[in-house]
Amino acid sequence: MPRRLGWTFWLSAGWIGLLLLAAIFADLLPLPRYDETLAGAPQSGPSPAHPFGTDGLGRDMLSRVVYGARVSLGVGIGAVLLGLVIGAPFGLIAGYRRRAADAVIMAVNDIALAFPALVFALAVVAFAGAGLSNVLIVLGVLGVPAWTRLIRGATMAFAEREFVVAARALGARDSRILLREIVPNVALPASSYAFIGMAVAVVAEGGLAFLGLSVQAPTPTWGGLINEGRGIMETAPHIVLAPSFVMFLTVLSFNLVGDRLRALTDVRQSGLEPARPSAATPLPTGEHEVAGTLLQVADVRTHFETPRGTVRAVDGVSFTLERGRTLAVVGESGSGKSMLIRTILGLLPGAGAVSGGQVYLEGREIGDLAPAEKREILGTRFATVFQDPMTALNPVRTIGTQVMEPLRVHLGMDRKRARQEAVRLLASVGIPEPAQVLRRYPHQLSGGMRQRVTIAMALSCDPDVLFADEPTTALDVTIQDQVLRLIHRAREERDLAMILVSHDLAVVSQWADEVIVMYAGKVVERGPAAALFERTRMPYTEALLQAIPRLDDPSHHRLRVIEGRPPDPARLPPGCRFQPRCPYAGERCETEEPPLVRAETPDHLYACWFPVGTGAGIVEGTESRGR
Amino acid sequence: MLRVEDLVVEFPAGKGRRVHAVSGVSFDVARGETLGIVGESGCGKSTTARALMQLPAPLSGSIRLDGVEMTSLRGEKLRETRRRLQMIFQDPISSLNPRRKVRDIVAEGPRVWGEGADRVDEMLEAVGLDPVTAAGRRPHEFSGGQCQRICIARALVLRPEVVICDEPVSALDVSVQAQILGLLEDLKERYRLTLVFIAHDLAVVKNISDRVLVMYLGKICELAPGETLVNRPAHPYTRALLASIPGGRLALPPADQLIKGEPPSPVWPPSGCRFRTRCPKARARCAEEEPVVRPVADGQWVACHFPEIDGV
Repeated sequence: MPRRLGWTFWLSAGWIGLLLLAAIFADLLPLPRYDETLAGAPQSGPSPAHPFGTDGLGRDMLSRVVYGARVSLGVGIGAVLLGLVIGAPFGLIAGYRRRAADAVIMAVNDIALAFPALVFALAVVAFAGAGLSNVLIVLGVLGVPAWTRLIRGATMAFAEREFVVAARALGARDSRILLREIVPNVALPASSYAFIGMAVAVVAEGGLAFLGLSVQAPTPTWGGLINEGRGIMETAPHIVLAPSFVMFLTVLSFNLVGDRLRALTDVRQSGLEPARPSAATPLPTGEHEVAGTLLQVADVRTHFETPRGTVRAVDGVSFTLERGRTLAVVGESGSGKSMLIRTILGLLPGAGAVSGGQVYLEGREIGDLAPAEKREILGTRFATVFQDPMTALNPVRTIGTQVMEPLRVHLGMDRKRARQEAVRLLASVGIPEPAQVLRRYPHQLSGGMRQRVTIAMALSCDPDVLFADEPTTALDVTIQDQVLRLIHRAREERDLAMILVSHDLAVVSQWADEVIVMYAGKVVERGPAAALFERTRMPYTEALLQAIPRLDDPSHHRLRVIEGRPPDPARLPPGCRFQPRCPYAGERCETEEPPLVRAETPDHLYACWFPVGTGAGIVEGTESRGR
Repeated sequence: MLRVEDLVVEFPAGKGRRVHAVSGVSFDVARGETLGIVGESGCGKSTTARALMQLPAPLSGSIRLDGVEMTSLRGEKLRETRRRLQMIFQDPISSLNPRRKVRDIVAEGPRVWGEGADRVDEMLEAVGLDPVTAAGRRPHEFSGGQCQRICIARALVLRPEVVICDEPVSALDVSVQAQILGLLEDLKERYRLTLVFIAHDLAVVKNISDRVLVMYLGKICELAPGETLVNRPAHPYTRALLASIPGGRLALPPADQLIKGEPPSPVWPPSGCRFRTRCPKARARCAEEEPVVRPVADGQWVACHFPEIDGV
């Protein structure tokens, strides 16, 4: 917990706590009374006897500031609680019931919010009389609309969640759902807002007191103290500075506490977030020959330093790729397939990542190039299509400006030519009425159309290698077929090389020429698609293939279940990383990591001591746990 | 056991327009059967599932559970009838209250009904979780697959008769998907459940279902036993769906010859047959007259003027 909140939180909370204790137990503290005149020489500066000095009547300033905290904190906390107690039920009802209740409550709320709050407060206090309770009530009531709005928003966010629907399905009554399912979730954002609200109330009370509209003398309040010291600021500045400084610290502390609490609401830490900025030294690369193919990736690694240890997200991946070929990278979530693409493209998250290995484009190493040249290669010779087109497209710019941008930046086209080219590009990816689509915004298009736009953008600078990371995962199956056909056709027409990252073996088997299967950051099997799917060697690939439901299997066919879970990336098992889940694993698998070895089919490689379909496991059957 | 007739669900879409999410869907589910519902996003399959639970209640139509009309029930009666149906959702993380412990999540049902929580450990074991280590933890400490197991335990702890699974494996990895499908089959047998299984993946639906219902834009296209549907699809949309599945190895023409374009908006559904705007076989009659669901073979029902009766 302390690590998550940070030291500023604890320092701020400590200050608030200290101030609260001092205010509550002020009578017990060894301080002169706040109204005891001539406790020291009037207007004397800070001294051991009077740490904050004395005021014009010789009263101890420290004592006055501490007693003043009773009013300031009392109003701050009291007003927030009052606002919460009145506003929260309205917010909960409006957010949970919606419809009529929501409409009425929010209409009243909006009118209330339209009142100029401080002017209203001044008017009420001036009319009803200055005093602690009046100030507290006015500030509390003024906070109600903001509370209602906040609680309503938070409630609405949770009322739509499936766990609320599930609770209703179980038969829980509304009151129980509100209390058990919604309130605990709303509590954290509310408490964060409460601290920020307290800061606002403390400042507001200070303002009213400064104007003489809060608690009357001789009871001290911070705002009143500042007002009193105003006249003699030139001779005794400490009288103004002491309460000002305490008030400043208090408001800052309330804000910091509120801020850190808010940061808690959406962070779900697994202990695997990168901890330190990356080390300067790259990871070592194994020896390799430079083949001079279009794309060569040699011993690429990406590690992350996390609080729980080093995560080897990508651990020594090598391959080559020629023009006109599609290489598929398959694996389940956490296998490192997307991280591999990001590493090759140099798109790693900044903090904590250490990478190694080399990427060659036609025999030239990209890592050695100057930044400008590297950008040029990434922008024009490599192109990317990601899973979610909405994140690849800027929601507030038209399709036209976004498609035209690379044409103008990288190819130096003028506006008119870029526009013509953009229309041609959109038409080439099967978008009807391309000229109209240029004027639209991304949210006005369907998911399939948006993905076509990102494909058009990827193809705009005539790239050599197209990286497609789960390009159709977010799309429906009939649209997926259309988009994959489109990408495939573009590859053929432009003689591109393509890297297709996918979790879907069916997609891969239909569209890929070569396949890499990844497990826990390692390549476990690699080869031509036909060989890999028909003469599978690695038990993980086999298990994955048997786990997919197929249309030609009979109904209620039991699928192969891979026991257990993928390994914790920070605590990989010794030896083969699949070994704890592998039915064929023997002793050797637990001690020695299997290297990639060649199968009988050319270019087919696998990493396994007891490959399936070869009899190796049966020959050494004494070691094997089963088959 | 469960009989749905002429179900209609519409949502306001602003400016007086309405989303026609489900428009006149009828089907039966027999006791002990698994009915699969398949279709693409926006076809109304999830809306149908929620309407079965009256969450929210449909605009019109009839849903009868063992002859009891659910749409006219209110208050306590509805609560009591509804507990016989339970639901499992797509996103296992979002389906669990992040601030509650697993034991409290699973024990919520019995507590609501004032029953003892003695079945909680049994349920956790039944879904393959260790009650000793799992019960005291919170959802975020579990993987997606394990969260889905917790959801299944929560749904089954009240001993429901019908479990509606809304895309329960879509958010999971292949290996975990196989585990959950196997678990559902086991639990169905053990607790004699009736399942309504909704997914967008036809291969998954066919694997677990006895009969499969294909939906498109709020309407039923085809209803048939899984084998019949895959081997002799009669509706042009079913054929397109099957042909679009990569590596399907079925004797169908390529998908781009069976379907074109994008689904129209459910705010302005096409007249007549809703699939006609994308159908290669559409003729004038398809725009004028809405096809009714009619039997074309044993157990096979199709809503199309020109179905592919001879199969592929």
